[in-house]
Amino acid sequence: MTKQPTIGESLRSQGISRREFMKFCTTAASLMAISPALIPQLAKALENTPRQSVIWLSFQECTGCTESLTRSHAPNLESLIFNTISLDYHHTLQAASGEAAELARAEAMKANNGKYLLVVDGSIPLANPGYSTIAGMSNKDILLEVAQGAKAVIAVGTCAAFGGLPKAAPNPTGAVAVQDLITDKPIVNVPGCPPIPIVISSVIAHYVTFGVLPQLDGLKRPLSFFGQNIHDRCYRRPFYERGWFAESFDDEGAKQGWCLYKLGCKGPVTYNACAIFKWNDAVSFPIEAGHGCLGCSEPDFWDAGGFYQALSVPLTGTATAVSYAMVGGAALGVVGGLLNRQKKSEAKQHHEVVSIADLKRT
Amino acid sequence: MSAATFARGYQALKENIDISIAAYFQSCVHCGMCADACLFYTETNDPKYTPIHKLAPLRKVWEQEYTLLGRLKVWLGLAQPLKDEELAEWKEYIYDSCTLCGRCSMVCPVGNDLVYMIRKAREGMAAAGHAPAGLIGATTRAIQIGSPMGLKWLALQTQIKHVENDTGLTIPIDQVGAEFLVLMSAMEIINFPEYLAAVAKIMKHVGKTWTISTEAFEATNSGIQIGASDIAKELVSRIVKAAEKLQVKTVISPECGHAYMAIRWEGPNLMGRYFKFQVKHILEVLDEFRDQGKLKTDGIFETARLTYHDPCQIARRGGVIEQPRNLLKLIARNFVEMADHGKMNWCCGGGGGVSAIDEAHELRTKVFNRKKNQLQELKVEKLVTACANCRIIIEEGFEAYQMELPIIGLTEMVAEHLVEK
Repeated sequence: MTKQPTIGESLRSQGISRREFMKFCTTAASLMAISPALIPQLAKALENTPRQSVIWLSFQECTGCTESLTRSHAPNLESLIFNTISLDYHHTLQAASGEAAELARAEAMKANNGKYLLVVDGSIPLANPGYSTIAGMSNKDILLEVAQGAKAVIAVGTCAAFGGLPKAAPNPTGAVAVQDLITDKPIVNVPGCPPIPIVISSVIAHYVTFGVLPQLDGLKRPLSFFGQNIHDRCYRRPFYERGWFAESFDDEGAKQGWCLYKLGCKGPVTYNACAIFKWNDAVSFPIEAGHGCLGCSEPDFWDAGGFYQALSVPLTGTATAVSYAMVGGAALGVVGGLLNRQKKSEAKQHHEVVSIADLKRT
Repeated sequence: MSAATFARGYQALKENIDISIAAYFQSCVHCGMCADACLFYTETNDPKYTPIHKLAPLRKVWEQEYTLLGRLKVWLGLAQPLKDEELAEWKEYIYDSCTLCGRCSMVCPVGNDLVYMIRKAREGMAAAGHAPAGLIGATTRAIQIGSPMGLKWLALQTQIKHVENDTGLTIPIDQVGAEFLVLMSAMEIINFPEYLAAVAKIMKHVGKTWTISTEAFEATNSGIQIGASDIAKELVSRIVKAAEKLQVKTVISPECGHAYMAIRWEGPNLMGRYFKFQVKHILEVLDEFRDQGKLKTDGIFETARLTYHDPCQIARRGGVIEQPRNLLKLIARNFVEMADHGKMNWCCGGGGGVSAIDEAHELRTKVFNRKKNQLQELKVEKLVTACANCRIIIEEGFEAYQMELPIIGLTEMVAEHLVEK
């Protein structure tokens, strides 16, 4: 097999200047909260590393993640980095088809056994393997097979990370997330419906540079992107603090750009970087366009109550139990309060006037 | 004859726990920030003086009487009910090491009014017979004789004669319809009769009618310090009765911290009604005179480097902060502020009745260290204040630490600078 060109060589062959390359390294470093002192190291690593072999598997998905990552605002440095990895298998993007395509996958797996990165978008149906197959193989089988020789797995999009839309109640296909099936490999979840393009390229750059995955949160999401919620970074936050809310989508508050909390915005419970990086080359993001956050990067966002229901409204199902508990609690509180009041008023009734003769003991 | 018993004390604690106290205990996050606000903790570094710890018995009663969990704990034998020995032990915390200065209430992040709770806890302590002997004595004298220091009208009458002889001014007595009723604190009568002379001079200067009452001349209220509301009410009602009989418009609380708190804030609550007159601190009255342009100064300014000690009950708990500064600007050129002045001032260590507790003498001398350091840092040549009790405590502190610094009441100082008419 011919020697893989390094990323640096590959970039130069495509006419990318050193300056642009360094700019990308700096951006990537700052995005991942890496010390500026490490930027040269990042650049050196990217420059000299053989192109990372990546196998991309798509299961129950809508291709929105691929759209987001490869096309949404190409060409830019994110997509260039994609050119610099060796994307050895990707249903949507590869030219090959049929047996040739599957052969490419098998070859890549063999040549880079234990070293390639596996990127997955889409969830895996377990109810019936026939719901989604590739070249006659069920999604589950192909995932387990490819994951075996992978160095790490990146689950792109909410479907791959948490089951996403296919898993929405009543989950007819028995969809599960990648992490439900793969337990012996390092996994990074990059959720979002779709996820922000630069997040995936940054995670790969981090992996290529340091040989390890970035720091993750409890849901295995890169902390540097998912460490803060939308609400805390939202430009409409000051209105929330003042209690200025849009009550409907066409009232004065909505026109003035006030907080969308009451219209069901899930920003306060959604950890993602949309409010910072925004979308479409940093043009806007849902809240800026006048619509509340749907919470798409959170597990089971589809079943987390209505999109237009304010967060403080209890979800259906638990609502009855909660209201009974509330009524019960309130009743207990009232009874307790009455008992205490009685005790206190008794204590008051039994008040014995303290005179100077009562200050000492006999 | 009735007497104090533990049962009466417990009953009083139970009776004094109100909605506020329940909410405070429930809100307490055990952060300990009140410790750093308390003079007795900062100067001793002994955690037993943490303000909220001083309330442990009260908390216990609240928990075991008014919360389900607390009752369960007692029932299951997980907690012991309050004992008399605990109250006896806590006497040092509730009386000796608390001047009711209220600094802890200012810093509490959840807004608990700790000083309010100490005041209420004292009700139980007094009824249980755990009040300090010094305070019991003072309270008994206040009720029986009319003044905590055992002064009768005769003593004041003698001082009045002295003042009249010295100044050539007349001190009006029992004048019906006068605008102001002037009260005195026992300490002023004995130690600082200059105050009376100053008031006489200022009243003549501004042309206002005023009077002293033979029936209620004592402004202090030991009932509040010891924590016996029934007694406090009796003491306040003497003033109210006299003021309403003389039909005065305003009662002037003297240069005494807790007297002001007692009459102005606790008074109407104790009486359960509004007064027919206003209550003002002498500094408030003087500042009003200044504002109306009635104070004509002689143009000779104090040149000594001086500072003002904010008495806790007047500044932090009374809100009289701007007034003394306005007055000082009128007469002093070289006035400097102490660190933490105004509402966050540090107590002299002897307020809230502590000055009357003999066994607390050593402790309060120790904690005076804070005020001593504050003053030494400022390198002032004179100290001005507006509370006779602070003044005596500070003078005693100077003596103990072998410091020399003249100290003067602000009213007196203002009077000195008025032009003679």
